[in-house]
Amino acid sequence: MTTVMLVDDSATMLMSLKSILTKAGYAVETAGHGKEALDKLGKGVKPNLIISDVNMPQMDGITFAREARKAPGMRFTPILMLTTESEQTKRAEAKAAGATGWLVKPVGPDQLLGVIKQVLPGA
Amino acid sequence: MPSVLRKLSMTTAEPEESDLRPDVVAGALDPVPAYCDVVDGHVRDVIEQTGEAAHAIIQQLVKVDSLAEVMAGDVAQLAGTLSRTESELSQVSAGNDQLVGRLISYFLHRDHQIRALVDQMRELDQHVKQIEQVSRATNILALNAMIEAVRAGEAGEGFSVVADEVRKLAHRSAEAAHGIGTNIGDLTAKLDAVLSDDSQFDREQELPPSSEETAMTRRLGGIASAQREMSEMVSGILKDTVNAAEQVQRSSSALTSETTGAVGHVQFQDISRQMLEHVAGAVGDIRQQTEDVVAYARGDLTEEELMARVISVEDLRAKHVMSRQRTTHASQTGGASHDDAEPLIELF
Repeated sequence: MTTVMLVDDSATMLMSLKSILTKAGYAVETAGHGKEALDKLGKGVKPNLIISDVNMPQMDGITFAREARKAPGMRFTPILMLTTESEQTKRAEAKAAGATGWLVKPVGPDQLLGVIKQVLPGA
Repeated sequence: MPSVLRKLSMTTAEPEESDLRPDVVAGALDPVPAYCDVVDGHVRDVIEQTGEAAHAIIQQLVKVDSLAEVMAGDVAQLAGTLSRTESELSQVSAGNDQLVGRLISYFLHRDHQIRALVDQMRELDQHVKQIEQVSRATNILALNAMIEAVRAGEAGEGFSVVADEVRKLAHRSAEAAHGIGTNIGDLTAKLDAVLSDDSQFDREQELPPSSEETAMTRRLGGIASAQREMSEMVSGILKDTVNAAEQVQRSSSALTSETTGAVGHVQFQDISRQMLEHVAGAVGDIRQQTEDVVAYARGDLTEEELMARVISVEDLRAKHVMSRQRTTHASQTGGASHDDAEPLIELF
């Protein structure tokens, strides 16, 4: 089963996205911030896709994306940034950090699942 | 606020030209931090309550979704069962039709044989009539022979006895033929009645007359027709129920689609939370600046220190993260509108 890791400090976002993804047939791992997500990767969690918020406590999403790329087996795993942030400079930072794409909140279920199918064609 | 600061600044630089009293300013601004604290508390209450509401909404939507899926599953199972029942009913009905058809064929064949038997018996009746005619003729002949024997006198006495015996034989032969004929007639009438006694049935069931039909085949045809009608009626009910079940499935599917969409819309809480946190941050800035002004008025802060910490609307703009915040900021300050051309979804 395809596993998606959700990283967001908003419990509402985690619940909403988890509900949508679970219903679509994905297994879901959640983390409340970048550091927690990085710890999970370090403990052997191997998601097929990561969807991360940008502005989070302890470790922001862009730093997390940069660090996640260094984790074993995560070099080519798609990382989507899902955030309210819309500035181009932040997008450029995310891209440089190794993010695969940028989604501005709120994102509808159909849009989200459509993007996932784009970055995970076989899933 | 900047105008007050300007006045304060002027007061410091040119105290003799103003009767502005720093202690009054400090006293007037003194409650503002507590006021800001309360506003901040209210904002955070809103964040907390909308968060709780959003979680409850998602949980309930997930439950609705789950119930809809269970209902769809149950209805699908019911539809499958009904569909199989309808199919089996059709097979049973077809089997019954075949059975009745075979029975009708059997009875038609049997009736045909009985008719042939009746016809043969009618032919026998003709033979009996011929025997009766022969007996009558023999009787007349015997009578004539007796007359001739009497006329012959003594020589004809023996012949008279023979003629009498012939006459008796002819009489018994006629009686036997008559008896056979009567029995054949009775038998034929009874067989005819077996074939044609459908008056009672016709009074109850109006079926089109057929030269091939008999009472039995009409009854069987009636049973078959009634069974077919009942089967069609039950089949119709089952099909209607299956259609209704499929409609419920479609509605359930639409319902789950709607609940998924609603779960997506609950993301508004995260967006409004961030906006409110932004507002709370701005209230905190106002609080800090008020405290700074009070400190300055009381002489605890120099003019340079105060002016270095003065907040500006541009500081607020720099803290915006959302396109909507920047747009609203521009509309409120009359500044340049934010370029909102960035795509909402972008794959690098």
